[in-house]
Amino acid sequence: MTIATHLNKKYISRGELALSGLKDLAPSLSYATILTEDGFSVVSVEGSELDSNRFASMASSTQALADAVARELKLGDNEFVIVAAEHGHVVQVRVDGHPLVLAALFTDKETIGKSLSAARRTARRLNVFLSAH
Amino acid sequence: MSEHVILFAGPMGAGKTTAIRALSEIEVVSTEAANSDRAAADKATTTVALDYGEISVNDAEKVRLYGIPGQRRFDFMWSILAERAEGVLLLVNADAENPVEIAIDYVKEFYALYERGGIVIGITRADLVPESLIEEYANALADEMPDVLIPVFTVDARSNADMTVLLMTLVANVELKQAVAANAGLTSGRTR
Repeated sequence: MTIATHLNKKYISRGELALSGLKDLAPSLSYATILTEDGFSVVSVEGSELDSNRFASMASSTQALADAVARELKLGDNEFVIVAAEHGHVVQVRVDGHPLVLAALFTDKETIGKSLSAARRTARRLNVFLSAH
Repeated sequence: MSEHVILFAGPMGAGKTTAIRALSEIEVVSTEAANSDRAAADKATTTVALDYGEISVNDAEKVRLYGIPGQRRFDFMWSILAERAEGVLLLVNADAENPVEIAIDYVKEFYALYERGGIVIGITRADLVPESLIEEYANALADEMPDVLIPVFTVDARSNADMTVLLMTLVANVELKQAVAANAGLTSGRTR
């Protein structure tokens, strides 16, 4: 029987490795998770006060809605999602070639551009780690 | 043009997305993701935000069809979409574990919408179980909620005809409740 992605040790260990560098890239990181497309948290860092399962579910829905908007408007592939609020922002990036999304919450002390850049680099790192044997 | 907003609810694998696709006159907006929980339902994709379709009842009436994700971890989407809805078309797959209990749980979950407009239940995949009696569901509902009246049908979620009957039953229910409520408002206005 195939192991569910969020329980797969390879995804968990390499996800941890990728996320470990995110705080250095963007110190205002409050919370980050790697989730499956269908909303299961694979691994997360920081923000123990957050409900990781709920965050992953909401990120999954948000990602799918943003993808649907891009598709409906014939804009091509959706590259990232940003939710910018008064006291912080959430950045979501897909991990190329895998049914995974990186979702990260930052405080308002970081610029959105810097957070996005950090999230993209982390997603690319995870892709490299997952491709390695 | 007047319109109704109907929610398609039910567990993962009950056929909500299929039913909306069978009914909709526009291309359905879907938010499907790769399903990594094959133990819960053995299918390739699952809805993680919503499905959206539309159907015209006549020249003057349109029904907006919103499908919600079946998994409880997406219940925030249930609340968001329930806010505007007037009724629930509940689909339960007969080959689920404890389908009668699932149906009752969903009716309880969306009871506010039952009061606002109504609920109808469609039992899907009934041909895959040795015996699936509508009476079982009706009796269990009557035992659990004696004052609640909910029509129960067996349906094929792929069938436009089956789903139209189910949807129109619900729409008629919603319109009846709205007419009764409006009439009650008029009557109480007159007695003041």
